[in-house]
Amino acid sequence: MKKLLIAVMLIFAVGCAKPYTKPQEKTVKPEETVKEKTIKPEEMEAEVVEEAVIPAEEQITESVVSAEEKAKSVFRDVLFDYDRYDIRPDARPVLDTVAAFLAENNEINIVIEGHTDERGTNEYNLALGEKRAKTAKNYLVSLGVSPERIIVITYGEEKPLCIEQNESCWQKNRRAHFVVVKSRFR
Amino acid sequence: MNTGFRVKSLKLRVLILGFSLFTFHFSLFTPALALAKIYIDITSPAIRQLPISIRTSGSPASKELESIVKNDLGFTGLFSFVDPDVPGAEIIADIKVEITDGLKVILSVNDLIEGKEVLKKRYDASKIIIRPMAHSISNDIYKVVTGKKGVFRTKLSYLVSTSAGRKELRLMDWDGFRSIKVVSKGLTSSHNWSQDGRFLIYSAERNRKWKIYLLNLKRYREMVLFSSRGLNLVGGTSPAGLISLSSSKDGSPEIYVINIHGKGFKKLTWSFGIDVSPVFSPDGSRIAFVSDRGGSPQIYTMGSNGRGLKRLTFQGSYNTSPSWSPDDKWIAYTGRKNGKNQIFMVKSDGTDSRQLTSRGNNEGPSFSPDGLFLAFDSDRDGRRGIYIMRIHGEEKKRITPKHINAMSPKWSPYLK
Repeated sequence: MKKLLIAVMLIFAVGCAKPYTKPQEKTVKPEETVKEKTIKPEEMEAEVVEEAVIPAEEQITESVVSAEEKAKSVFRDVLFDYDRYDIRPDARPVLDTVAAFLAENNEINIVIEGHTDERGTNEYNLALGEKRAKTAKNYLVSLGVSPERIIVITYGEEKPLCIEQNESCWQKNRRAHFVVVKSRFR
Repeated sequence: MNTGFRVKSLKLRVLILGFSLFTFHFSLFTPALALAKIYIDITSPAIRQLPISIRTSGSPASKELESIVKNDLGFTGLFSFVDPDVPGAEIIADIKVEITDGLKVILSVNDLIEGKEVLKKRYDASKIIIRPMAHSISNDIYKVVTGKKGVFRTKLSYLVSTSAGRKELRLMDWDGFRSIKVVSKGLTSSHNWSQDGRFLIYSAERNRKWKIYLLNLKRYREMVLFSSRGLNLVGGTSPAGLISLSSSKDGSPEIYVINIHGKGFKKLTWSFGIDVSPVFSPDGSRIAFVSDRGGSPQIYTMGSNGRGLKRLTFQGSYNTSPSWSPDDKWIAYTGRKNGKNQIFMVKSDGTDSRQLTSRGNNEGPSFSPDGLFLAFDSDRDGRRGIYIMRIHGEEKKRITPKHINAMSPKWSPYLK
C-alpha cells in the first residue's frame, strides 16, 4: 500500500518521439560523376555543404526526450482565485494537456493536491483545498480520464509553495498540484 | 448545608497522560455557614475588584506557589492585591507550605471585615507538584469569593507547527505551563474534547488519508473513530457523547453526527458547497457550522436533527470557526475585516455582534468552561501563538512561547 502511494516520477521512452535515423550518405556513383559535368557547379556545392554541417549534439536531442522534462511541462499547477474553486479559463489548457498526456500514458496515475493561501482559517481552507482538487479531477474526468486513476488530497494552507505575504505569493499557493505515481491505486 | 465540621477525603486523579499520572489526597474542613456569602457577583454588569491579600509561609517553594495563585486570580480581573502588611484588604488568604516526603499545604481564607474564617483546607500531594497545587488553591479561593467554579485546573489542547505540512497536538495548563506532546504523527488539524474530559478527538492526515481519531487520555490509546474517502474533520461534542463532524465521503463536505463508539452515523446537511466546523450548543440541541451555500463562508445554526436552518452572520464575506458559549447565549467566531482575521462574538439569535480583537490576525476562538474567557491564536507579535482574554476585557495574554508556532486552541471542560 505504502509503495503504491509513493510518488514516482517515471523515466520512460516517449512514444511519440521518433527514433533518429542516421542520414544516409549519398554515394556518388561514377555515372553521376560523369553527369556532374552537366549540373551547374553552384547546385552541387550547396548539397555537399548542407550534409557536412549537421552537428553531433542534434542527434542526441532528437532521439531521447527526457520523460521527466516532458512530465514537468505537462503537470503544471492549476491556479485559482481567492476563496474560489471553479476552473479559470487560463487553467483549461493545462488540464487539457494533462488529460491528453494521461490518455497516451496509461500506466500513469496521479494525485491531485488541493492547496490554498494562508489568509483563511485552517479548517475552512482544508475544505476549500479539497474542492479545488476535486474540480480539477472532475474536469479531467469530463475529458475522459478514468476517475480510478486520480486520487485527491487536501492540504489547505498547510504546505505553502511561497511564504511571503503578498498577492503574487498567495496566487502561487492557491493551486491544484499534480503528483505522478506509477502503480494503480486500490 | 453543613452542621459542624465536614471531613471529606477525596482521591483526586489528575489528568496527566500515562507515565506522569499521579494522585494526591486532600481533606476538606469547611466551617458551618448558614449562608455562603458571595463577595463578587460575576453576573452583575458592574463588577468591582475585591481587595485581597495573599500571605505565604513555610518552604521557599511557597513564593513560587504564591506567584502562580496571584497570576491565576489576577487574570480574572476580579481581584486587586494588597500587601499583607498594609491595611485595605477585605479578604486574606494564608498559605502554609511544607515539603517533606511530598507537598503539604494548609489554606486559610479569612473575611477581614467580619473577622471570621470562611475556608480552611489541607492539601496533601505525594509528589512536589507546585503548579497543580497552586491552581487547586486558586480554584478554592475563587469559589469562596464568587460562589463559582474556577477554570484554573483546566487545560487547552492546541497545535504546534513542527515543519511544513506537519502539526502536532499538544496539551497545556490554562496559563501555558506544563505543555506536553500528545500526537506527533502526520498533520493533525481540527480537534476537540469530549465533554467528560476523558477523550481528545482529532483529525489528522497520515499517508494521504484524513481520518478522525479518538484518544483515551487515561490509557493514552488512540483509535480510529471515523474513516472514509475524502476529508474528515471533527467539529464538537455534545453532553450526550455525540460528535459532530464534516465529511466529504459523498463528494461535498457535509455535516454528520456520530457517537463516541463510532456508531449512529447520521447525515444532517445536503448542499453542493462547503459545510464544515460544526459545534454543538451546550445542551446539544443545536449545531452552529460554516457554510458557503450563500456564496461566501458564513455561520449558520440548525437543530441537531438538521432542521431549522438559520443564517447567523451577515457582515463581511468570510466568517468561520464558531465556538458556542457554555451559557448558550453567545457564538464566538473568526471574521475577516479590512483584510485581517478578527475574533467576533454574536448572540446565538444573531443579534448584537461585537468585535473583540483588532491587532494582527486573530483566529479560532474557544470558550473556557465558565464562559468568562476566550482562547484564540494570533500573529500580533510575530509568530502565531495562543492567547487568552476575558470576553469583556481588553488584555490579551500570550501563553505559548515566542519561538514556537502554535495555533487552534480548544479549551477543555472542567477536569477532575
